[in-house]
Amino acid sequence: MIETETYTINIGPQHPSTHGGLHVEAIMDGEEVKDAIVHVGYVHRSVEKIAESRTYAQFVPYASRLDYLASHLPTLGYVQAVEKLAGIIVPERAEYIRVIVSELSRIASHMIFVGSLAIDLGATTGMVYCFRDRERIMDMFEMSSGQRMIASYMRLGGISADLPESFYPAVESFINDLPGMIAEYHGLISGNEILQERCKDVGILSAQDAVAYGVTGPNLRASGVDYDLRRDDPYGIYPRFEFRVPTGQNGDSWDRFMVRIEEMEQSGRIIKQALRDMPSGEIQAKVPRILKPEKGREVYHRVESSKGELGFHLVSDGSDKPYRVHVRAPSFINLMVLPLICRGGKLQDVITNIATLDPVLGESDR
Amino acid sequence: MEHLFTNIAQILTSWMVSLGLPPIWADLILLIGQWTIIVVIVTLNVIVLVWLERKISGFIQERLGPNRLGPFGAFQTIADAMKLLTKEDIIPSQADRWIFMTAPMLFIVIAVMLYAVLPLGQGMEVVDLNVGLFYFISLGSLSTICLLMAGWGSNNKWSLLGAMRSVAQMISYEIPLAFSLLGVVMLAGSLNLSEIVTAQNRYWFILLQPVAFLTYFIAATAELNRGPFDMPEAEQELTAGAYTEYTGMRWALFFLAEYTNLVAVSALAATLFFGGGQGPWLPSWLWIIIKTYLIMLVFMWMKWTFPRIRMDHLMSFSWKVLIPVSLANILITGLGIEFFRGMGW
Amino acid sequence: MIGKGLLKGLGITLKHGVEKPKTIQYPEQRPYLQERFRGCLEFDYKNCIVCGMCTKACPNNVLSFETAPIEGSKKKRLVSYTIDLQYCMFCNLCVEACPTNTLFFVHDFELSTYRRDEIKKVYIPPALTQVDAGGGQAELIPQDALEPDREAEAEAKRLKQLQAMKTALSKGGQKVLAKYVDTEEDAAVLANLLQADEKKRDKMAALIVDDKEKARKVAQAFVAKERKTQAGGEEK
Ligand code: SF4
Ligand code: SF4
Repeated sequence: MIETETYTINIGPQHPSTHGGLHVEAIMDGEEVKDAIVHVGYVHRSVEKIAESRTYAQFVPYASRLDYLASHLPTLGYVQAVEKLAGIIVPERAEYIRVIVSELSRIASHMIFVGSLAIDLGATTGMVYCFRDRERIMDMFEMSSGQRMIASYMRLGGISADLPESFYPAVESFINDLPGMIAEYHGLISGNEILQERCKDVGILSAQDAVAYGVTGPNLRASGVDYDLRRDDPYGIYPRFEFRVPTGQNGDSWDRFMVRIEEMEQSGRIIKQALRDMPSGEIQAKVPRILKPEKGREVYHRVESSKGELGFHLVSDGSDKPYRVHVRAPSFINLMVLPLICRGGKLQDVITNIATLDPVLGESDR
Repeated sequence: MEHLFTNIAQILTSWMVSLGLPPIWADLILLIGQWTIIVVIVTLNVIVLVWLERKISGFIQERLGPNRLGPFGAFQTIADAMKLLTKEDIIPSQADRWIFMTAPMLFIVIAVMLYAVLPLGQGMEVVDLNVGLFYFISLGSLSTICLLMAGWGSNNKWSLLGAMRSVAQMISYEIPLAFSLLGVVMLAGSLNLSEIVTAQNRYWFILLQPVAFLTYFIAATAELNRGPFDMPEAEQELTAGAYTEYTGMRWALFFLAEYTNLVAVSALAATLFFGGGQGPWLPSWLWIIIKTYLIMLVFMWMKWTFPRIRMDHLMSFSWKVLIPVSLANILITGLGIEFFRGMGW
Repeated sequence: MIGKGLLKGLGITLKHGVEKPKTIQYPEQRPYLQERFRGCLEFDYKNCIVCGMCTKACPNNVLSFETAPIEGSKKKRLVSYTIDLQYCMFCNLCVEACPTNTLFFVHDFELSTYRRDEIKKVYIPPALTQVDAGGGQAELIPQDALEPDREAEAEAKRLKQLQAMKTALSKGGQKVLAKYVDTEEDAAVLANLLQADEKKRDKMAALIVDDKEKARKVAQAFVAKERKTQAGGEEK
């Protein structure tokens, strides 16, 4: 008998495919992964602690920085949580604009997902095309809010400024071109047999495990659990829109990939409806300059971000600053299944799995 | 034009003989001269190739590629080479010094040695070996050892993984590579590369051996460690695989050797399947350059389009698909040759 | 069939390979910035009423200012205003809070500097002068409110003159030109020439406004040349 032994390699925190400061300690037997240990915290910025020393309004730009790839979504979650806490009613038009920019954010985030999956598997060109298309969304954010990535566009009780005129043609042409873009991704990335081979039956996450670990978002839906907060625990004006919640069957990397592609299409549908129904009017509710919610109130508000269920737990002590803010970061919880789905796979599958779990380390480490 | 270089060589030899040198010395000097020219050309060619690859990847990705230094950014690679030359040469303290240091040198030496038998035009090979093809293949498989040395010597797990991958990959892809060439050899009836070119006077072997070309092309991509088979390097997984610990000029030598190998393999494909230097109007050495470059363009195009294949798929693809196909190709070629011979062709 | 997807991918890359690149060659070609783009935060001290809303709104303590009391008044005056841009998140909260539009974002986005303290911007209002505000009361106002920007004014005046001269010349302007040439006839020739040739007209107009001496020389040269070509044309 040949005596073999396992060895450990550290994937990250400085590694081309860990999407930031993620550290995966892989225990290997040759090319096979015996076990993996996820270490997080390299991008810890103590966002929750910062929140305690900022006023409610001042925390908005920090919330944007949680998930910097889809910055409107965490902002939406935070401002809606505060509005719930203080009982602020948001004007109709602001709600519609919020939906439009958050769905655009979701598309942008999924485009990065597709692109980074492509580059993690070695297809550099696929990434470039995705980023090229995402650029159009970034331009729209620049039009509306003035910043491209970290927009901090939403405000307590509304949004900071109305959409400019140039925004409408841009978003319309983008939505019309979206099917073409997706067709191109299918042609170059998902149609490629090598990529299919590398994704299918890799990193299988069963529905049971997914629920047990608390996985949410596209990763959960890929495992076949039909659960989307926009439909199942609606917030804002989401009940008014018609969209399909795509699900997968096997819960492998391939399903996680396809679910996200289809979500982009559905987001396009929502934006179309929102543009059609958008009323004119106010964009900002009357909010006191110094907001002091009632003492002892406590809310938990969750939104469906591009990564999963993003929740904000706010506790008020009656002052103008929150007593405690907790962020339920979907990336963090999704990452915790990584060891489970990597076990028994190859080293290259770890890369595929990290890419298809689509964590954003800024959000996971907070 | 056609005999430009051969004529120059002849004139030089006769001039040296007329100076009173014994002919054997004249030949030796000429040989050294040829070698020097090849090494210089290979190095310069790599500079062009790196530039070309960057440009192509740029165009494919709707970028411009290098465009600042010199016309169309042509001097960018030269600047990069300067940068690499002046970089600090780091040898990790835990590395196996000698192995670590000799690996890149050996790699480039082997790569340049491949050119000895390539007919770069009619009558323009350095040595006209009668087992040229055999020489080529056996030298090609030597480069595995260099990668293994680099991986082992670095004393780094990523490097070692990359090295082990490269060994597994190269050994399993050498078999279909050699088998696919056998069909050509059977048709030409010789292992001598110039004779194989002459045998293609009527038909290029790509027409008679399309399957062999396909298997050769795939196996060659794997042998070259180019995408989608760039396992040993695998930037997104192994950071840089076997080359992780190398810096400066040592790393550049690997780079140089990889591109040199690319040229050699493409030139071999041009020789074996596309009639070598045959072609109308232009001199033969120009034709072979054109064909080689065209084949290299396809290699680059593939690299920038495809994702990397997984290691175990890579192995099973070789053993389960390529080897049976190339074996079947040999069988069919043999049957065909017998058949046509029987028909009295 | 296996390989179909591969070929399709190759086709897509080939298609984009021959397309025109989308690169914006940055330092030479400037990116198009949307109107609301938030580049650098700027401060215009003239409007500031020293209310402190901005510093209260800023989450990151980027903004700070010093004040000094104005004698005989409840108001305070600004001594210095500091924007420590390295901590700025470009979140727009201060701009929204400011009641007088004193703070605003400009499109300049090239903010990197070599040292930390270079990025800190300190605005110090110009020294104050005492003026008689009527009724025997003295008031302090900034110096440059008294001395309007001479240079800018001169430049504006020059531009106005230039425009007027151009229009005049395009409509003839013999009388103006007569000052620069010797005879009436020459002036007529020159006027015709300038009416026909816009480049020469612009040059002449600029010279007349800026440098009368040179204008004279150039005008005479124009006339001589024009005469020559006319004569040449007649001979032929
Ligand atoms: S933009 Fe935001 S961070 Fe910057 S100074 Fe204004 S309020 Fe402070
Ligand atoms: S809010 Fe505006 S006016 Fe008030 S102190 Fe700040 S800059 Fe000056």
